Amino acid sequence: MALSKDVYKEFEDVVGAENISDDPVIKDAYRSPDITVVLPGNTEEVAAVVRLCNRHKIPFKAQSTGWLLFFIPESDFIFLDMRRMNRIIEINEKNMYAVVEPYVISAELQAELFKRGMICNVKGSGSTCTALALSGHGHMGMTVSTGDRNDLATEWVTDEGEIIRLGTLAASDEWFCGDGPGPSLRGILRSGGVITKQATKVYHWPGPPEYPLEGASPRYTLSQKPSNMNMMVRYFSFPSIEKLIEAELKIGEAEIAFELMGFNPSMVSSNITTSNEEDFETLERFTKEVQGPGFMVIITGNFPEDFEYKKRALEQIIKETGGKSLKTVEDPDVESTLLFQCTRICASIRETFRAGGMFSSIMVEGQRYDSHVKWLEEAAVWKRDLIKKGLIIADDGQQFGWGEEMGHLGHTEIFCRFNPYDEKSSKAVEEWLERVSRRGVDGHFALPLPPILPIDVLGPKTSNYHIWFGELKKAFDPNRVGEQTGYTYVAVDNAGVHSTVYRK
Amino acid sequence: MALEDYRGDVEMCCRCSACKHIPLQKVKGVEHSYSCPSISRYNFHAYSGSGRLLIAKEMLTNGFKYTDKLLDIVYNCQMCGACDISCKYAMDMEVLEPINEFRIRCVEDGHTNPALDKVITSLRKQGAMVPGARGKRGDWASGLNLKDATREKVDVLYHVGCLTSYDKDMQKLAKATVKILQKASVNFGIAGDAESCCGGRAYQMGYKEDFLKQARKNMNMIKKAGIKTLVTSCAEGYQAFRVLYDKYNLKGDLEVLHITEYIDKLIKEGKLKLNKKVNLNVTYHDPCYLGRLGEPWIHWEGKKVPGYKFVFDPPKTYRRGTYGIYEPPREVLKSIRGVKLTEMDRIKEYAWCCGAGGGVNESNPEFAKWTAQKRIEEAKYTGAEAIATACPWCEKNFNEAIKESGSGLKVYDIVELVEKAI
Repeated sequence: MALSKDVYKEFEDVVGAENISDDPVIKDAYRSPDITVVLPGNTEEVAAVVRLCNRHKIPFKAQSTGWLLFFIPESDFIFLDMRRMNRIIEINEKNMYAVVEPYVISAELQAELFKRGMICNVKGSGSTCTALALSGHGHMGMTVSTGDRNDLATEWVTDEGEIIRLGTLAASDEWFCGDGPGPSLRGILRSGGVITKQATKVYHWPGPPEYPLEGASPRYTLSQKPSNMNMMVRYFSFPSIEKLIEAELKIGEAEIAFELMGFNPSMVSSNITTSNEEDFETLERFTKEVQGPGFMVIITGNFPEDFEYKKRALEQIIKETGGKSLKTVEDPDVESTLLFQCTRICASIRETFRAGGMFSSIMVEGQRYDSHVKWLEEAAVWKRDLIKKGLIIADDGQQFGWGEEMGHLGHTEIFCRFNPYDEKSSKAVEEWLERVSRRGVDGHFALPLPPILPIDVLGPKTSNYHIWFGELKKAFDPNRVGEQTGYTYVAVDNAGVHSTVYRK
Repeated sequence: MALEDYRGDVEMCCRCSACKHIPLQKVKGVEHSYSCPSISRYNFHAYSGSGRLLIAKEMLTNGFKYTDKLLDIVYNCQMCGACDISCKYAMDMEVLEPINEFRIRCVEDGHTNPALDKVITSLRKQGAMVPGARGKRGDWASGLNLKDATREKVDVLYHVGCLTSYDKDMQKLAKATVKILQKASVNFGIAGDAESCCGGRAYQMGYKEDFLKQARKNMNMIKKAGIKTLVTSCAEGYQAFRVLYDKYNLKGDLEVLHITEYIDKLIKEGKLKLNKKVNLNVTYHDPCYLGRLGEPWIHWEGKKVPGYKFVFDPPKTYRRGTYGIYEPPREVLKSIRGVKLTEMDRIKEYAWCCGAGGGVNESNPEFAKWTAQKRIEEAKYTGAEAIATACPWCEKNFNEAIKESGSGLKVYDIVELVEKAI
């Protein structure tokens, strides 16, 4: 059912005729047959669109950069594509934050920050995704923490269309803090509405203002050895997962790693290769070379002595924990590639989509070492079963993850790569996701992110969160036009939606 | 290959939006990070490389439904290939090929653009992609006493191209090229009135049959005249002769060189001396059809290996823009004393298009100029006083945009600068 002409005209009056469409071919490109797409250009337009949605009781959904294909609303929607809101509002070097609109991508913000000796979190899904702070865990979490711990003051359009300025912005026009005065609404941001501007914390970057790249796509190289920039990349494998965890913890305690990315060998090979064929050949070689589970470490020195100290400390830890360095990564060309790929987060697509077109993931954030790794090691066993049956892409089948805030927190994840147009394969992955999720809940390992399990299954396990959430939702969204999934918001790209099925 | 043959490729699109940006390592900030003029101008996802593939996927599955909006999307694309390069930084899939095939399908089904029909009428009548062209193709050479390559034995055929032959403002490029070749004592000739359009622009516009007709006609003439080497100063002509003719197995052994490659060679062999100083702070614009799309064609036939991996037997080598013509134009510029070359943010395989490609300068001049204007702003950002290019279509489009905006930036083809230096 399309909007009536009169209602369509009301939306058109807000954004202009050029920025609204319900043409079937426009909808085909969004893979959503029941939407009217609007392209708001500023916060006032977003608010006006949302108010109209409330007046006419039309659900809306906002999307910033978008990342996945299968995020398909199931009923008539106003779809706010935030593409026109693409400005960096401020980079505050003194107070170490940056303010962005939803369509600024991480690659843009990061490049601007590099010039100033700073860096931000970049979500694991890659630097094509929004630079908004909220959620999204990233490979550089050791140094730059994780998305939902970086969000500061926020400009937010509620589900009713009210513009609310949160944190210090409410009182002082300053963006430096996400809280107060008054109660913090940061948790509530997950209940819907549209974030139109947000400040994100930024951190010290010891690397160059711009990587000295040579060559042409798809094989750029660095014109300098990483060591000449006080930077080093190594991949270590360990005799057991226990030894790997011990090493991770020690590296965290020593505060020597800029990045500790628990790549499995298949993710390393995807990153450094430029085609599927080369990828799988390389993986075969790596699999023979590693002794067990592993991670990649990036060391960066602020000055040569700092670099030397960190290298030596790392060497000692690796010795103590029985780690073995993957020789291929010690090659300066491979090391260089990993360095710029894994700090600019430019090749996530190689890791995830290139082999089969799609991947589905279970991810969890928190105390990685006590339970999450154990849980997803079980998931890996079940995943290998799918590989044996030929239902998914055959990789090394391992879980992966990384430390955050020097190991205080961590991210753990496992994914299956597959062809989304093959029903058998898709169904197998969907069942695997559900099985792993249920094991997480029933085994008290972790609470997987929706939507794999519905919120009324997850809620009772967390102090009836879903009931509280429902009350909040009612208060903020009395007409029930905003997001109803319980976890999504404008920066939805990475928040646990790596599943093939969108469920309302 | 027809659109249907790219079903696997269009299904690989994961909507990551890499196609909208330059390769991410090359992003230097919030400015100049976009790669695709179409999505940058029109904003709806449908106008991006990904959107186009998703539309193709839908239509391959549920049948073609032609609407005005669909045709607006199809024809508001310069076919510049930037989306293709950015995607293939990470992915193994074709992007530009299915987009091109989609356009060809539109034309075959009779859903053409009236402005482009006009151009094709001109091609069919006059053998030129310049509607309203007057006089004969070889008139520009009158009085120059050049060899007729169709009758006399020459080492090099200089293929002038439609725009340079017919457009009075562009004929200076042909004359400059002639001076350079004469200075280097090259035994060259032109085909004069017998020269015909390369067909490359017709192909970009979706008129594949017209392209093939032109290609066969040109190759017949070339073979008959015994020509071994063809040099052209038109980037689109270069891509047609070198890449498209090869794609359709029509090129044979013909050596095809862009004039910048040839001049670079002449300088390096000591046959051309650039003695005069040209004081100019210049930036260089890589024409899409010389740069990323000038990469040689890779012949491949194979089948997808059964299973979920998107791999083929034999393995497919993708054209990813790595081997386009990037250095020779820069080498030539650097050879001119006094010329200071400053690079823009978006260069080589990820250069921003001038806006004229794909027939957009005819079908939507406003969009063509909008695209050129973005490039002019980027050029000015470098502090350069001039933008140099290596294609008459780029030069013309830049000049039109500059005329409208009042920018003081000067535009040169590299042959004009070389002419000043000899």
